[in-house]
Amino acid sequence: MIEFRDVTYAYPGALSPVLNHLNMSIEDGEFILVVGPSGAGKSTLLRCLNGLVPHFYGGRFGGQVQVFGDDPLEKEPREMSHVVGFVFQDPETQFVVGTVEGELAFAMENHNLSPLLMRKRVEEVLDQLNIAHLRNREVSTLSGGEKQRVAIASVLTLSPRVLVLDEPTSQLDPQAAEEILTTLQKVNADLGLTIILSEHRLERVVQYADRILYMPGVGQEPISGSPQEVLQHIDLTPPLITLAKELGWDEIPLTIKAGRKQVRRMPLMAEILSSEIHPSTAGSEQGDAPQSPSPITMENVWFSYNGHDALRGVSLSVRPGEFIALMGRNGSGKTTLLKQILGLLRPKRGTVRVYGLDTSHTDLEHIVSHVGYVPQNPGSLLFAETVREELDFTRLSHKLPKGDYVPLLTQLGLAAHAESYPRDLSVGERQRVALATILVADPEIILLDEPTRGLDYVQKRSLAHLLQKQKAEGHTVLMATHDVELVATCADRVIILGDGEVIVDGPAREVMAGSMVFASQINKLFRDPRFLTVEDVLHAVGSRKSPS
Amino acid sequence: MRHHVLSWSLWALAALMPTLMTRNPLYLLITVLAVALGYAQHQGKTGAAWGTFLRAGLMLWVLTVPFNALFVHHGDIVIFSLPRSWPFIGGPITLEAVIYGTVSGLALFTILLIFATYNAQVSHYELLRHTPGFLYQASLVTSIAITFVPQMLASANDIREAQMVRGHKFRKLRDMLPLFMPLLTSGLERAVQLAESMESRGFGGNLAPVSWRQAMAQRLATLLGLVGLLIGFFLSAYFPQRSQPGWIIAGMGGILLLGVFRVQGSRVQRSRYHRSTWSGEDTIIATASALVLAIFTSAKLLAPQMLSYYPYPPFPLTPDFNPLLGGILSLLAVPALLYELSPDNGPRLSRPPSFPRAPSINHQTRTYQ
Repeated sequence: MIEFRDVTYAYPGALSPVLNHLNMSIEDGEFILVVGPSGAGKSTLLRCLNGLVPHFYGGRFGGQVQVFGDDPLEKEPREMSHVVGFVFQDPETQFVVGTVEGELAFAMENHNLSPLLMRKRVEEVLDQLNIAHLRNREVSTLSGGEKQRVAIASVLTLSPRVLVLDEPTSQLDPQAAEEILTTLQKVNADLGLTIILSEHRLERVVQYADRILYMPGVGQEPISGSPQEVLQHIDLTPPLITLAKELGWDEIPLTIKAGRKQVRRMPLMAEILSSEIHPSTAGSEQGDAPQSPSPITMENVWFSYNGHDALRGVSLSVRPGEFIALMGRNGSGKTTLLKQILGLLRPKRGTVRVYGLDTSHTDLEHIVSHVGYVPQNPGSLLFAETVREELDFTRLSHKLPKGDYVPLLTQLGLAAHAESYPRDLSVGERQRVALATILVADPEIILLDEPTRGLDYVQKRSLAHLLQKQKAEGHTVLMATHDVELVATCADRVIILGDGEVIVDGPAREVMAGSMVFASQINKLFRDPRFLTVEDVLHAVGSRKSPS
Repeated sequence: MRHHVLSWSLWALAALMPTLMTRNPLYLLITVLAVALGYAQHQGKTGAAWGTFLRAGLMLWVLTVPFNALFVHHGDIVIFSLPRSWPFIGGPITLEAVIYGTVSGLALFTILLIFATYNAQVSHYELLRHTPGFLYQASLVTSIAITFVPQMLASANDIREAQMVRGHKFRKLRDMLPLFMPLLTSGLERAVQLAESMESRGFGGNLAPVSWRQAMAQRLATLLGLVGLLIGFFLSAYFPQRSQPGWIIAGMGGILLLGVFRVQGSRVQRSRYHRSTWSGEDTIIATASALVLAIFTSAKLLAPQMLSYYPYPPFPLTPDFNPLLGGILSLLAVPALLYELSPDNGPRLSRPPSFPRAPSINHQTRTYQ
């Protein structure tokens, strides 16, 4: 059993504690989901379990923690590794030795286990996690999902009682995330391992959890209870649950299947679903565009990295003011396509034109005066002392005068942070600062690469709102993403790439409604192109109710 | 990895020693051919990475020739002359200098090729597992650094691109700040995450307890070893005519320090996981390599003139060739021959698991719980 008694902790130099008189207990074999907004202390709580807090970070610690009879305060993380296996967020940064089998053996070697026992455990864990075929591979050659499974395997070889995972799927595509979560469910069920997982994508994981621990904010008391109980009381909920609450369903469904049962009980919904699809809501091509010139055109573009074709005959034309989502598996060519538009990569064959400029024969300087690009990792952009200086830097680089940034920062919810050090901000805030550094030059085209990585629902909602605003102002937006919910909310058109080729290109509603993988939760619930988001459903329900 | 890391290590040593001992172009050519056979077999897997390295090696070789010819004006066979008034490079350009440059470049290229082949055949971690206990920490740090470099380069490229798209131009050193700051901070963040991960997997624990007396003895021995090294180097540097006593003292100091490291290293209770096994082929490679090493070391000690080659007068321009030495050197091609003769050319380690199986316990393995 795990017990926190009156735990208070503050990081070195922090004025207020992250954890404030925290009390909780976790039973053996439970699957606990830790949720809450970014910066609420989820990672800190998890790190208390193996003593990384306070041994690794320092700071002030009060209270008591007991993990299956061991006290992480007394013991150090390395001694606790027998009891607590810890898996981190980024699959890239937790490997030491480079080969899969080497990684699996590393912890056991540190604990001086006998070679015979090591052999046995390595084989068992390889089979348990279904990664025996990867045993001789170099870790650097694995996909994100495979890396994360190796990371889990590498702590399981010590046979810990608890597996703690700090947002293990936030860097992965939906398929890889699914792999990880089913793996966790399996080890929880088969081995009876206690699992404590922090996660933003509730829609994927909530069905597996026995209990949710919701951390509302820095120093505030957490709420704990069954998934249904907790989700009833919090704002950070996936679309299915938000809809259930809005429609006042008596039971909160945790899966699409359970949701369908509830839908069947609603005569009004049945009536709406059986009515004819109105052409305006079924989604159609925008009719007003052909006159205006296309800001981006790609004609039969081929590109290869080290002999591997990353783009194969891609042709597309973007209309001004369009919001396009680029979707597809990791490695399907999304980022390569964005870099082609920027002129950072040049096609081996074919042409890319941005406002008529052929990127193969145009200086980057001319292209970037039209196009802004927010990379996957906002940290790649931020280097200055304050947010204001970051914005000045972009303006000056574009040979524009410094300006008044208050309206932009207010719009992005960053008004209070103009003088803050960008790297001290939360993940969501940093993402918005990166966006601000691009928007401040007022580019006509905005390119975004995975803008929702590591963002919670509230941050995602505010990002979606902001991007819609950009579109309304006439900006053309191209966004590479795995986030189907964001696409359902914002995009007009979806392009799905597969192995460097355009597989599907069409209006968002049509494409998402017709897809098995890229459908939003609400669309999976109704399987009807009229309903992609909670708003779509509420709107339909509202308009049915009001005339009658 | 097809063969045991130790047999490959012995092979690499056997290939390196003659290359360092002789400038005889015929022996160097035999070595380069034997090693190149081994390299070619691995080219499909890691050739791309090492190909660039070897191309740089070839460039280096090509540059050595004019460099030697322009700066060394010794020799009888003059190809042409440059005006004496030209600083450094003025004077006769001789055939001897061109040949010596070519041979030196060949030796350099051979060393690089041996290094590339060894790296392509041996896994870093397998090598790390075979380092003596007291060198484990240092080797691990090196191994992490090796994996860190490509990550760092990739992230530098991402940052550079992102800043360029933001309108920034990298022209002067001052313009590098938007590249260096994110690179430094992301590098540090990554290092902290790795440290957390290592600590969470039990790294750095399990030190055997040591008595007060043992601890004092170790400190005293460290101090003596360091003082010995210092005095030894001082004596040999200030009395170059009679440097022997100095070297002896420094050597004793060094041995004492190594002893302390060994004792301290043995305190870390750590076991080693092995799956590679020593096979008959490994014995053949090791024997061939040992033979090359033994014959060439004996030749160097007993008849150094057999290995020497110096094209400048009064020595002959054409190299000597001893068929026995040449034949022995060709034994370096044994791993390549074994590979060709082997009925299945697949990697040995990928055989299906058949556990539990008697583990190959390394002689370094310590007490178990």
